[in-house]
Amino acid sequence: MRKFLAVFKREYLERVRSRWFVFATVFGPLLMVAIIFVPPLLGSRTKASADVNHVAILDATGTDIGRRIALELNGGVAGDTSATRVVTVAPGDLAAAESTATHDVVAQRLQGYFVLDSATTAGRSARYAGRNASSISDIEQLRAAVRQSVLAYRLETAGLDPDRVRSLTETRLSLDAERLNERGRGGSGTVSLIFGIVVALLLYMSIFLYGFTVMRGVQEEKQTRVAEMVLSSARADTLLAGKVLGIGAVGLTQMLAWALASVLLFRYREGIMAAAGLPAIPFQLPDIAVGMMLVLLLFFVLGFLLYATMFASVGAMVNSDQEAQQAAQPVTFLLIAAILFLQPVMQNPNSRLAEIVSWIPFTAPVIMPLRLTLTTVSTTELGLVLLGIALTVVASIWFAARIYRVGLLMYGKRPTLRELFRWLRYAG
Amino acid sequence: MTPPAIQVRGVSKRFADHLAVRDLSLTVPQGTVYGLLGPNGAGKTTTIRMLLNIIAPDTGQISILGQPFDSSGITDRVGYLPEERGLYRKMQVRRVLRFLAELKGVDRRTADRRIGEWLDRLGLRTAEKDWGTAKIDELSRGMQQKVQFIGTVLHEPELVILDEPFSGLDPINTQALKDTVVGLRERGRTVVFSTHLMDSAERLCDHVCIIARGTKVVDGPIAEVRSAHGQHHVALGLDGAAPPAVSALLSDRTLVSEVDDSGRFFELQLAPGASAQQLLARLVEAGAPIRRFELVQPSLNQIFLQRVGAANLVDEVTVNA
Repeated sequence: MRKFLAVFKREYLERVRSRWFVFATVFGPLLMVAIIFVPPLLGSRTKASADVNHVAILDATGTDIGRRIALELNGGVAGDTSATRVVTVAPGDLAAAESTATHDVVAQRLQGYFVLDSATTAGRSARYAGRNASSISDIEQLRAAVRQSVLAYRLETAGLDPDRVRSLTETRLSLDAERLNERGRGGSGTVSLIFGIVVALLLYMSIFLYGFTVMRGVQEEKQTRVAEMVLSSARADTLLAGKVLGIGAVGLTQMLAWALASVLLFRYREGIMAAAGLPAIPFQLPDIAVGMMLVLLLFFVLGFLLYATMFASVGAMVNSDQEAQQAAQPVTFLLIAAILFLQPVMQNPNSRLAEIVSWIPFTAPVIMPLRLTLTTVSTTELGLVLLGIALTVVASIWFAARIYRVGLLMYGKRPTLRELFRWLRYAG
Repeated sequence: MTPPAIQVRGVSKRFADHLAVRDLSLTVPQGTVYGLLGPNGAGKTTTIRMLLNIIAPDTGQISILGQPFDSSGITDRVGYLPEERGLYRKMQVRRVLRFLAELKGVDRRTADRRIGEWLDRLGLRTAEKDWGTAKIDELSRGMQQKVQFIGTVLHEPELVILDEPFSGLDPINTQALKDTVVGLRERGRTVVFSTHLMDSAERLCDHVCIIARGTKVVDGPIAEVRSAHGQHHVALGLDGAAPPAVSALLSDRTLVSEVDDSGRFFELQLAPGASAQQLLARLVEAGAPIRRFELVQPSLNQIFLQRVGAANLVDEVTVNA
């Protein structure tokens, strides 16, 4: 125990004292600041551009839908439609009109133009082309205008009174999406999605970073031959445990520092934002319970232990940095696989694929937390997954302790798989 | 009676393709300087690593300071300097030493005091410069070796094991190390070191053990080893180069079984049945310009060459049989 503490302390203190650690610990909260303040900043821009009405409407429908859209875009009947140009064209002249309009857009005389044809009258489709076509809020406003106008037109042609139609369709409804789970409110859907991705990426990055640090540490001890000196004082498994847990503690320290910083930032964000001259925009926080935090922490600890011990085996096997990079590839790949599955899991956290990747012990430490934030996972399932990772960790430690004990003193060429098995026997 | 510092009985260690140590037994009495001699690849380092329980022997027993070698706490009483040197490169000298001392159970204050003393003694802390606050990286190789040696003895071990301690040292540091070894013995410690440099061994050791190909060839107190081999050795000094007649005489295998020829100085081993008188008479007859003719105990080097050569021969015979 005393020797374990000596190793643990050395690993911990040497790393916490390093410039790199101090930098990352300070830089992390800055990133956090960005995460907190950039969404409100972006949010303040989610209103459509002021010149969204600065468009041409090429109306080949032979109806007044074009005019209706122009009105809709400019604030209704009383609006000033001078910014919007309605061009009535015959269906045959549409191509020529479009090329003129394109020219105008390119010359910046217009934001963009609509093309309305018989499909529009039928309520199926209309086209828009413009410089702001990738702006979600602009397009949202344009789409609403077209829908509203076509709907009003169709209702009126079906014989309804125009005033009636106007009063009925005049609804500017916005849809606030909110996620629910069986405990009730789960906060805003988008916020929890962002939170889930941030958590998954953070877990991935820290497991990778600290796992890699363990590998470099083992490799250094082997290369500088300190290992033999230390091994004459402490058993290989004591050294391995002290190293892995010492570096893990560095990771936890950093995470706690980050967590603390972000809690403080969240709490005082209004003051800070006011000081920074930003408008105080109501900003939703993911509703994360303490229990959830603990589960996430457990995933980090288990995931780190799993990968750190695997990386430690790699470090003990190799003789140079190049060899290390090569030999680390299989381990790295397991972790990267988790990242490859982020997208599909995000899109459908309840799919069979998402379930399976969140069960496999090697991808679970990243994928399961993501699923947890996006959907509901039963306690039994969660427990089984955690147990599965824990068992894999035990196996990985068994394996690593043996490879480590033999590998630390073996120089020369990298072992083949067969030699590795022999190492396992030697150490037995 | 105090138990021996090291007692090894019938230890063997096999690696995948070869037997590194074969049925080795040896005893290191406490308070002695013990040399483990042998050519490269003889199994010295493997033996030492087994003594320290860094690798496990396949068969046999080892006891250290009267206790089984794998009993807990025993490593705290032993200091070890591996053949391959190295320390944490980015770490401060003092912190490295503190860490090594802590591993051996030395408390912080005692460790700091001893570190100071050793840094002074080995010239790593002078009025101008305290290398204790430097990083290992910033030290020269010689200085790093000193730091590592300090790490070996900080916990004042009863038994110090040094694997090839003289390799890579300049003459000044070699002398400093020898002085330190002598100093350790004066304070009643046991020092075991391996080397293939017979000169250092001859001057420093009380006991030696020569091993070759994983097998013990000879061991015992150095005086005994030498006198056991001393009946038939002649030191011959000539005034000028040997005339052809003398050279012919020296290569007569009925008279001289082995010659260590250094030009004007020869160390001879008499052939079985031949006497020194006979040799001297023949040399005078051949007109050798003799300056010195003396019956001597063989040097360790001589014994080493003779016995290790023989061991290799025996080895080949057993392989053939």
